[in-house]
Amino acid sequence: MHDVLNTPFFGIVLTIVAYEIGVACSRKFKFAICNPMMIAAVLIIGFLMITGIELETYNLGGDYISIFLGPATAVLAVPLYKQLNQLKAHLFPILIGILVGCFTSFAVVSLSASLFHIDDVLHLSLLPKSITIPMGVELSKSIGGIPAITIASIVITGITGGVVAPIICKVCKIKHPVAQGIAVGTASHAVGTAKALEMGEVQGAMSSLAIGVTGVLTSIITPILLHWIA
Amino acid sequence: MRLLLQLALILSVCFIGDFLHRVCGIPLPGNILAMLVLFLLLCTKIVKVEQIEEMSNFFLKRLPFFFLPPTIGILAVYGVLKGNLLVFFLLCIFATIVTLALTGKITDILVHVQEKRKKDA
Repeated sequence: MHDVLNTPFFGIVLTIVAYEIGVACSRKFKFAICNPMMIAAVLIIGFLMITGIELETYNLGGDYISIFLGPATAVLAVPLYKQLNQLKAHLFPILIGILVGCFTSFAVVSLSASLFHIDDVLHLSLLPKSITIPMGVELSKSIGGIPAITIASIVITGITGGVVAPIICKVCKIKHPVAQGIAVGTASHAVGTAKALEMGEVQGAMSSLAIGVTGVLTSIITPILLHWIA
Repeated sequence: MRLLLQLALILSVCFIGDFLHRVCGIPLPGNILAMLVLFLLLCTKIVKVEQIEEMSNFFLKRLPFFFLPPTIGILAVYGVLKGNLLVFFLLCIFATIVTLALTGKITDILVHVQEKRKKDA
């Protein structure tokens, strides 16, 4: 019976419909928890689980959408270029902020891992969670993690960042748009950046910048810190 | 510029990014290199924002959509994690909140200190 679905169009249509439902819900209910991406992901995962349709069948179409991750990431250069002045004016706080973020992520994951006796492989797989998927997979492999778990942690981190960013900025009184953008991009890569773009053009630009810088810094400092704590 | 030409221009940049990664062996993902290349092209005015504006807005406005397929891939680790599933979720969420809050607060303080110094100077 599932032969009917052996076409890329199934996955593509399912993704578009779920995403549009997510967008409609987030417009109607203005709570932070109504994040379009989270609603869409829950809808698609729920649909696949209830119907018992295999992930491979979904990916026949999903892979076509994934191809466009390339251009979607590349055009983040546009808001960054438009906000070049902000970058030049605040270069020092931006770099220090991102560095603090990289160390924080490492420290929180490692401390929690030892506190809750999480096994080593899971701990190592979680360390690249704040960086973008292709970089995270490479880092995970090189330090002995499981790439599939790393991808899952990156995805959950991204969605969390998008959902909690406006709340945290309010509660912690993070007011400057540059600081807001750097926080979102450093903690939750490109998926969080989608939310940063909604918060404002400066936030989006700074978040885009943070994706690349965080990825490079995390890839460099993680093996060094691991060596150091071992 | 016509939409398809805008898309072709953006995809050419992605091609260069992939080339730099795969052929030249630069240890950064093609997507990130493409972003860097496009940024340099814009800074040097070889490409003007107007030449790609509509197509880049198309992508930027629905960025989360393109991240959905890898997100659905978390179904694949359901079996691998088993007993650790709840710990895994909570740890990801907790670490993200702490990182976001601390990064933002430190940057915010530094930006304000810097702006105050400029005013005083």
